Amino acid sequence: MIQLAKRVIRQTINDKRSVMLILVAPLLILTLVYFLLGDSDYVATVAIDPVAVPAPVIDALEQQELELVDITADEADQALDYLQQHEGVDAVLRFPENSAMDITLYEPSTKGATAISEIQEAMAAINPSAEAEVSYVYGTQDQTLFDSLGYVFLALFSFFFVFIISAMALVRERSRGTLERLMMTPIRRGEVIAGYTLGYSVFAVIQAIIIVLYAIFVLQLSNEGNIGWVLLTMVLLAVTAVSFGATISIFAGSELQVVQLIPFTIIPQVFFSGLIPLDLIPYHLGNLSYIMPIYYGAAAIKGIMVYGDGFSDIWGYLAGLTIYALVLYVINTQALKKFRKL
Amino acid sequence: MDIQLSRVNKRFGDTAVIKDVSFTVAAGEICCLLGPSGSGKTTLIRLMIGALPADSGTIQFGDTEMPNMAILKRLGFMPQNDALYEDLSAQGNLAFFGGLYHLPKRTREARIAEVLDMVELTDHKRKLVKDFSGGMKKRLSLAIAILHEPDILFLDEPTAGIDPVLRRKIWAQFQALKAQGTTIIVSTHVMDEVVECDKGALLYNGRLIEYDTVDRLLDKTASGRIEDLFFAASESEARS
Repeated sequence: MIQLAKRVIRQTINDKRSVMLILVAPLLILTLVYFLLGDSDYVATVAIDPVAVPAPVIDALEQQELELVDITADEADQALDYLQQHEGVDAVLRFPENSAMDITLYEPSTKGATAISEIQEAMAAINPSAEAEVSYVYGTQDQTLFDSLGYVFLALFSFFFVFIISAMALVRERSRGTLERLMMTPIRRGEVIAGYTLGYSVFAVIQAIIIVLYAIFVLQLSNEGNIGWVLLTMVLLAVTAVSFGATISIFAGSELQVVQLIPFTIIPQVFFSGLIPLDLIPYHLGNLSYIMPIYYGAAAIKGIMVYGDGFSDIWGYLAGLTIYALVLYVINTQALKKFRKL
Repeated sequence: MDIQLSRVNKRFGDTAVIKDVSFTVAAGEICCLLGPSGSGKTTLIRLMIGALPADSGTIQFGDTEMPNMAILKRLGFMPQNDALYEDLSAQGNLAFFGGLYHLPKRTREARIAEVLDMVELTDHKRKLVKDFSGGMKKRLSLAIAILHEPDILFLDEPTAGIDPVLRRKIWAQFQALKAQGTTIIVSTHVMDEVVECDKGALLYNGRLIEYDTVDRLLDKTASGRIEDLFFAASESEARS
């Protein structure tokens, strides 16, 4: 078993692309995600007809982080056409005679939402009784999307990259005939899977440490709990990924087929990992998450990083992952009977 | 330790690939599995080493039925494709397989140097296998098969794609191994190689058409060429 683990480590180190995929790719994507989901400092542009809008409102709007553009009364009447012709403008704000306020947006987007929230804040400034004070049990209003969803990516990365590499290595082992040769030595079937898992676990530990340190100390991902539990969860997730990869490799005839199976193996797990709140998924489809290993990892990491949970709160998820890995281990050991009944 | 096959059958789906094959390989002999491609040589080897279960019939090493852990330790196998780890060096491949046979570290290193020398790869031992030529891969594959000094050696087309000079050297190695008491079962479709062997097992469409000493097999042919026996087999099959 140790022999096999050593070989897996040596083989992976000799293949530069695998090392990059495990150690560099997660950091690259995490950085991208940071910029995509982070605080954008976007300033929305709102068009108003200065004649029709009351002066205190204009004053209040100018106090907000908004770009104001003056338009004529005619343009304000034709708000839809105006927005279509002026791409840089996010919203047209009007005060028609018979209603309080009218906001026209180009499309339902984050830019429009920024414009609306700034306008609402301006209105609240004029009329303090309309202001709503929002408070949270966990987290603060200043947190970006990266803070509230970043944990999902920690789980995704520790699963995905190890899965890809281990599944491909095992498929290669089958197709090149080395697995048959391996099974003609006095190695036990269980040792093959255990050796693989052990070998990739070494990379999983290094990967988890690098990702977590980078996310928390460089990208300032907010973390309420103990980093140790995060690392443990990520490593456990990666161990499950090795077994998952080994199982998938049974159904793949070549490395290309591993890639072809990604829509069945990985993409559903991304949706059920916590990116979309499971309560919002109709027809109780959210329950499907229980058959997806990433769900257990992501839920545990969310517990630690967002709620500050300790072991007593997350052990259920860790147990779920462990059971998952054990079941796959048994399946994989049985599958090797194809090569040697013993 | 003799290897006995008795009434072995194997089908893949609807096709019978091994039909009622029985023969015994005596310990210390070189037995040659001869036949055109697709005649079932590789399947027969995989059945003998226990990589495939037979549908019916028995395969015994001495009194033990395969697969068996204790026998696996004494068995060397060189598959038809090279089955090497491309991302490892020649030495890395040998060290890995040596480890699986639990060779003690000191003897392992000495033995690795010895087999590398035998197959003339000592100068390339640190090179990754993906940079090897076809012939070098074949030689490394052979080195792995004999690394743990097996009592029984199964070689599936060991000289395919190897130049005549090296082929002669490799056969000299086999003779040396035989002299040490190793039983060798070797498959080939090169009919000339049969003269190097003690016994010849002629396979045709999954059937064992002849099994005898090479001398007697050659006597049965008019021309002294083993091919004639296959031509006779194909004619009799066409008639029936």
